[in-house]
Amino acid sequence: MTPTLAPRTTVLAAAASNGNRRRKILMIVSRYGTLIGLLGMIVAFTIKAPTVFLTVPNFLNILNQSSLTAIIAAGLTMTLVVGEFDLSIGYVASFAGLLVVGFIARDGLPVLIGIPLVLLIGATIGTVNGFLVTKVRINAVIATLGVGTALVGLGFAYSSFPIASGVPAEFVAIALGKPILGIPNPIFIMLVVLSILWVILNKTDLGQKMQAVGGNIEAARLSGIRVDRVKMFAFATAGVCAAITGTLLSSLLGSGTLAAADGYLLDAFAAVFLGSATLRDGEFHILGTLIGVLIIAVGFNGLSIFGAPTFFQPIFKGAILVLAVGLSTLARRYSKA
Amino acid sequence: MQSEPAAWLQVRDFSKHFGGARALSEVDIDIHRGEVHGLVGANGAGKSTLIRSLAGVITPDTGTVTIDGVETRIARPSDAEGAGLAFIHQELNLVPHFSSIENILLGAPKQKRFGIIDWKASRRVAYEAAERIGVQFPLDRRVDELSVAERWLVMISKALARDAAMIAMDEPTASLSDVESNQLFGVIRDLAASGVGILYVSHRLDEVLDLSDRITVFRDGRVTETAVRGQLDKRGLIRAIVGREMAAATRPPHVEVDRTDPIFEAKSVTRGKAVKDVSFQLYKGEILGLGGLVGAGRTELARLAFGADKLEAGGFELHGEPVPSGSIPAAVARGIGLVPEERRSQGLMLEKSVSYNMNIAVLQSLRTVPMLPFLSSGKAKARAQRLVNQLSIKTSNVNERIGGLSGGNQQKALIARWLAPGVKVLFLDEPSRGVDIGARQEIHAAIRQLADDGIGAIVISSDVEELAVLCDRVVVLCEGTVTGEIVGDEITEQRIIELSYAHIDSQGEEK
Repeated sequence: MTPTLAPRTTVLAAAASNGNRRRKILMIVSRYGTLIGLLGMIVAFTIKAPTVFLTVPNFLNILNQSSLTAIIAAGLTMTLVVGEFDLSIGYVASFAGLLVVGFIARDGLPVLIGIPLVLLIGATIGTVNGFLVTKVRINAVIATLGVGTALVGLGFAYSSFPIASGVPAEFVAIALGKPILGIPNPIFIMLVVLSILWVILNKTDLGQKMQAVGGNIEAARLSGIRVDRVKMFAFATAGVCAAITGTLLSSLLGSGTLAAADGYLLDAFAAVFLGSATLRDGEFHILGTLIGVLIIAVGFNGLSIFGAPTFFQPIFKGAILVLAVGLSTLARRYSKA
Repeated sequence: MQSEPAAWLQVRDFSKHFGGARALSEVDIDIHRGEVHGLVGANGAGKSTLIRSLAGVITPDTGTVTIDGVETRIARPSDAEGAGLAFIHQELNLVPHFSSIENILLGAPKQKRFGIIDWKASRRVAYEAAERIGVQFPLDRRVDELSVAERWLVMISKALARDAAMIAMDEPTASLSDVESNQLFGVIRDLAASGVGILYVSHRLDEVLDLSDRITVFRDGRVTETAVRGQLDKRGLIRAIVGREMAAATRPPHVEVDRTDPIFEAKSVTRGKAVKDVSFQLYKGEILGLGGLVGAGRTELARLAFGADKLEAGGFELHGEPVPSGSIPAAVARGIGLVPEERRSQGLMLEKSVSYNMNIAVLQSLRTVPMLPFLSSGKAKARAQRLVNQLSIKTSNVNERIGGLSGGNQQKALIARWLAPGVKVLFLDEPSRGVDIGARQEIHAAIRQLADDGIGAIVISSDVEELAVLCDRVVVLCEGTVTGEIVGDEITEQRIIELSYAHIDSQGEEK
């Protein structure tokens, strides 16, 4: 008996250690794959076009462009942390961009009043989303899509009023100013917003509760957490972040344009899911989201440096979105021991 | 007995382990065509494991099934169906918005060529099956318009339409009225008379005694008794279910509890059919057990006390102050905690750390400064470390993923979640389910410790032995009402089981 047993156990042990090694490799790929991809792109672009890509102005440009996406994506991250979705963020941003220009250029409100007002409206819209999802119990996809679509209509209605000429210079300066070392304002704003959200998520009771709600909603409820309130807060935050992005975009464009920020929705989703497969196993987190945004921005930068035809951009975006969600799902699957 | 013909269905040497736990152990059972075969046993005794094995839902580790003289492999549900076995579970797997006909034929309609359903032939098959058991209502009605009793008839018709030779029924009368139950018994007797074997699983012992031609009793995964009609009375049956007349021997010495001033009280608590007019008191430093069968209303009662569900009548009082109904945060704020029944789905954030899982209910006390929402990671870690030591939770590090811990250690971490200064009452629903014997003793020690520290502990358990060795007092529920309260040396497994089945006493022959 024993002689036949011995080789078999060895084979089994070898198979097990093989499995372990495979699992380990998969885990490394899923945790660091996105970072490796980002570094790989940077190295490749640097070798291909050292004089254009690897320059301080180009990097500032990439960061500057990423800022708006990063802010709206960070808000989206909050809703995904609590296990929900927000498909209205792009429309909220567009709507906020129209409102802020209307308030300041047409109604003559001071910038320091107009902008907080718009952020408050963003928070209100987010709270409405949260209310529909938690209290009325409408599926988040439907609720936020409905609210977003309604906002498109409201945007039309609002922009049909004549907007007075000339957006004040101080409003335009918000996005175009470069206060320190030639670093554009949006980068600072992005860093501030992301830092605040990071602190909320990781260093406050509210953030811990948000993670509990997303991790196991029933366990969170049975721990005494007010699940609905926590979710509403996440939606409200997403609304504020969308309003910030919309405001910055209007400042950048110097006008309020219909549907200007709608496209941020998909970028934000792609970034957040890429981020969830970064450093952690499929968990949504702010740092990951930032890295996700940078991957997309570097990719786009490379596309334009190498003169890829414009039709290539949506293809790239779509591919990244699918890849991101795929990676995130894989990361979650392999984290289950 | 020897002269009997070979049974139609012969199960031999069935064993099944789940992890370290033995669910079935060398089980032999015979089921003849034309007999009603009662299956009884406490929760977890192995009845469902046997049924699930026969249904092809799980595969036993060892054992054979012989049907009509042929050894048959049942690896998946379709094998069981092909062999003529049908299973009707309490939940009645019907499609609510389909008609009875559609449900009867679900998955096996009569087809013409190219997969088109032959409705004419299908209706005929469905009606023939339904007529065999005397169905009176039109089969075109949607199933969700039918009563529970009528749905049972649809399920039985469904089994007959597939030429089932044996039908297993799990707790058929659980939600039927007396009249409906009696009608169903008539159907069952007729079916048996027509040659169908019936495997009848129920906690209602009078029914089982009344209906069954043969009764098999399960305990701890083994068959402990097989009796033909008339060999066993109810008392004998209960003795076979409990097995031994022990428990008092293994009880630790009693703790003297001062029962003058309750810390927590339920007053005529009522919600639907699940909990009916339940009252009890809990005293400081006491472990109170809630006994009864699964579905007796114990978990529902705990959820009501904890605010997870809203009361319909009655109320709970903590130190004489009413506890608001239907709000978990309000209950938690007043010092009521719950360690839920389903550790993984209701208790743990599996992807998070041990320390995170322990601290999630007491975050406010871990702030750096009480007025600001910022958490002190030092305080959080210190609390987790202290509790890991106190309950000897085996983990390399409080920052380890809790999903990687053993079940017993996970359970201790969940108990630790509620070990905080403000907590006065702690409900523990099935605290040692699915953990090994060593962990179970440690969990019991932890519960005793928290009671000694002045927390009132309420333990819900389907394991009567656990109640007998752990509790200072046991309140037993049956079908939503309190059937008895036992204190100190009165607490024996036998007594708890008797009270768990006491609804029969109130209606049946004993009084």
